[in-house]
Amino acid sequence: MKKTGFLYDERYLLHDTGPNHPEKPERLKAIYRGMEDAGLLSKLTLFQADPADMKWIETIHSKEYIDRFETSCRSGITVFDYPDNQMCAKTFETAVLAVGGVIKAAQKVISGDLDNVFCAVRPPGHHAEHGSAMGFCYFNNVAIAARYLQIECHINRIAIVDIDVHHGNGTQHAFEEDPEIFYYSIHQHPTFAFPGTGRAFESGNGPGTGATRNYPVLPGYGDNEYHGLIQRDLLPVLEHFSPEIILVSTGFDAHVDDDMSDITLSTQGYSRLMERIVALAELYAGGKVISVLEGGYCLERLPELAANHVKILLNQ
Amino acid sequence: MFISKVMTKNVVTIDKDADISTAQEKLSKHGIRHLPVVNENDLLIGIVTDRDIRSALPSSQSTDKDSIAKIASSKVEEIMTRSPISISPLDTIQDALLLLQKNRFGALPVVDDQGKLIGIISTRDLLREFIEVLGLNDPGTLLCLLVEDKIGQMKKIVDAVSEEKISFGSILVSRYWEEGKRAVFPYLLTQNIGPLKTKLKNMGCSLLDPMDWYRDSHPK
Repeated sequence: MKKTGFLYDERYLLHDTGPNHPEKPERLKAIYRGMEDAGLLSKLTLFQADPADMKWIETIHSKEYIDRFETSCRSGITVFDYPDNQMCAKTFETAVLAVGGVIKAAQKVISGDLDNVFCAVRPPGHHAEHGSAMGFCYFNNVAIAARYLQIECHINRIAIVDIDVHHGNGTQHAFEEDPEIFYYSIHQHPTFAFPGTGRAFESGNGPGTGATRNYPVLPGYGDNEYHGLIQRDLLPVLEHFSPEIILVSTGFDAHVDDDMSDITLSTQGYSRLMERIVALAELYAGGKVISVLEGGYCLERLPELAANHVKILLNQ
Repeated sequence: MFISKVMTKNVVTIDKDADISTAQEKLSKHGIRHLPVVNENDLLIGIVTDRDIRSALPSSQSTDKDSIAKIASSKVEEIMTRSPISISPLDTIQDALLLLQKNRFGALPVVDDQGKLIGIISTRDLLREFIEVLGLNDPGTLLCLLVEDKIGQMKKIVDAVSEEKISFGSILVSRYWEEGKRAVFPYLLTQNIGPLKTKLKNMGCSLLDPMDWYRDSHPK
């Protein structure tokens, strides 16, 4: 059994998105309950977050944006940049804790305290851009952690695999010109799904050309398509890149019961996808995986999906 | 909407007495394919395209250096299209789309009512506008709906979207192979599409699988 960490912090529940918003605190409670019900809590190393040092957030977001976010938040504004981004007075602090938690997870994996980790954070991050919030995301947790690993831990082959059903525009844009950080995203085709980026021809720029890969999946497709693309594409591409660590932007919203998309991945399909990612990490990255929660809104399915996800990390 | 708003205003032009090699250099320097030919008063008298030049020059296999040099130094006037079809700044993008398609052109010179060249509109300009009109640069989600082809359907959709406090990026209405039905494609500036989909379904609006959308006839 692996030494698997589980980042869970009740302060992540304080980001209040108001009534009827899908990105709600109950998501994390459902995930925690899933771990509890599956008897996983005793097998996991639980830890809480520390607030991030702002210097790491500034590696991805502009100072102007960070200040604007903090000021808007403290002034009591409840909608930020787009109507999708509902927030409360605690949102800024919570977002800083989400980043801090993922950085702490990265430290624990690099130091060898943990083999791998699942970070149940809110707010999510992969849509957050250099200078704007988008799609329920404020700070790009995964992108900031990747920069931390690159700068502080001198890791120069980092793979980010984004399995959220939406394209992680923020993450892609952060590393489009960086050949050391490979961004691989599988998502519903951008003609149909938010945010409308992540087309197959977007493959990086300048020195980063080839280190971005997008695999759009058409509405209605699910297990077979995902399985095929893992074999045909994800495995050979990551084998060639040979990452030292794999970060996973984990969204559970490609599940057939999640109404945020038209992708029909089954519970087993999700497990199969994660098993392959973990197997890849075993082969090339010494098993080092940092999985970070992005989307996933079906409260009935989240407990089982998250528990299965963590069982795979535990190699149980 | 109007050509004057979307045309390229700084047009690269050429004189009728310039030689073909100069025209060719201008095209490649500016990365363009059309050179309007104007006289000293900026009146449009012709147009020369990269294709006109390619067909005038001998093939690259040709070894007759004298003949290559001779053709390259011949005048633009000899190969240009005289009195080309042009468009007015007060014509519309729709006019340009139809005119370009009908004549299989890649660009149209824009002239004022005195015949003076004031711009050029190319398929490139129209593509940019089309991307803008569809809202493709704004983050959003495309819904694919199938409704009955009768008055009032669109109101229902717009009301439902408004009740969910969602903004429209664009909306397209199209034919559907089955008589009495219309396909509607609202592009909505949100990620939060779940509750609206449920609402539309409850209203009797069917969600159309985009893979099943055929405009004119269903394939056998």
